[in-house]
Amino acid sequence: MIRIDCPVCGLRDETEFTYGADASVTRPAMEDTGMQHWVDYVFNRDNPRGWHREYWHHVQGCRQWLVLERNTLTHQIGTCHLARDADLAVKEAAK
Amino acid sequence: MAEALSPLHHTITPGRYGVAGDVGITLGTRQIAGLWQIAGWQGFDRAAAPVLAAMGLHDGGSYRRAEQAGAVTAWRIAPDKILIEGAPDLSAHSSDDLVTLDLGHARTAITLGGAAARDLLMQLCAVDCSAAAFAPGAFIQTGIHHVGVLIHCTGPDSFDILVPGTWAETIWEALHHNALPHGYEVSADNNSRISRTNPT
Repeated sequence: MIRIDCPVCGLRDETEFTYGADASVTRPAMEDTGMQHWVDYVFNRDNPRGWHREYWHHVQGCRQWLVLERNTLTHQIGTCHLARDADLAVKEAAK
Repeated sequence: MAEALSPLHHTITPGRYGVAGDVGITLGTRQIAGLWQIAGWQGFDRAAAPVLAAMGLHDGGSYRRAEQAGAVTAWRIAPDKILIEGAPDLSAHSSDDLVTLDLGHARTAITLGGAAARDLLMQLCAVDCSAAAFAPGAFIQTGIHHVGVLIHCTGPDSFDILVPGTWAETIWEALHHNALPHGYEVSADNNSRISRTNPT
């Protein structure tokens, strides 16, 4: 059973959450006309063996969108932040 | 003016149900009066502070603990969102920085009590509801029967469950079926009317 430490609600079972999307992709700049960049953004995803950054929704809880790290091999859960704080958390960790 | 009734007004029948012996659980419903949600964006706490202060509230509590001020109860359900019961009409406080929303018609309050109440909750939701983990004054947002609910611990073995009105019967049925092995009672003094008028 995956358990996710929601920043609002605390440690909860995965059954309260819904997977949203890959949080590691970045949308190209709107003025970017490179077709391949947009094809990669819309359709192509890596399928890593190991840590992966993902959006999850705490749909049966605080209803907040989260960005968390999940190990696709072990299903371990790493850091978990509110999506709106996630970029800030990444910058803080990089310092 | 038409009288607003709880979605459970024809579902709840006072009586004794389930196994014979001691009653482990009491179920019922209660009136919801003046249920409002205030929400915002960055700067929410600053925008909400005067509204909360006007009701005698300090900061709306934490994500796990409700704040009480007289007949007013506040639950901080998300970073920029507070649910308030017992509030007067808050619509005049809406601004570019704060959104107020009357939810009085949208929730039903189910009351749960008794020595087996915590066991029943833990049958239905994947959260530790033991006395050590879920003390009076605390609240959790979780799912019962895949429906999002807010459970407020109002006493050592008593709880209010705020459920979406459109799912009230579903939740009641889930509680009913799981309470049968404990033996439960529905008291005759349930108030299944919804108050759409706010307390003054």
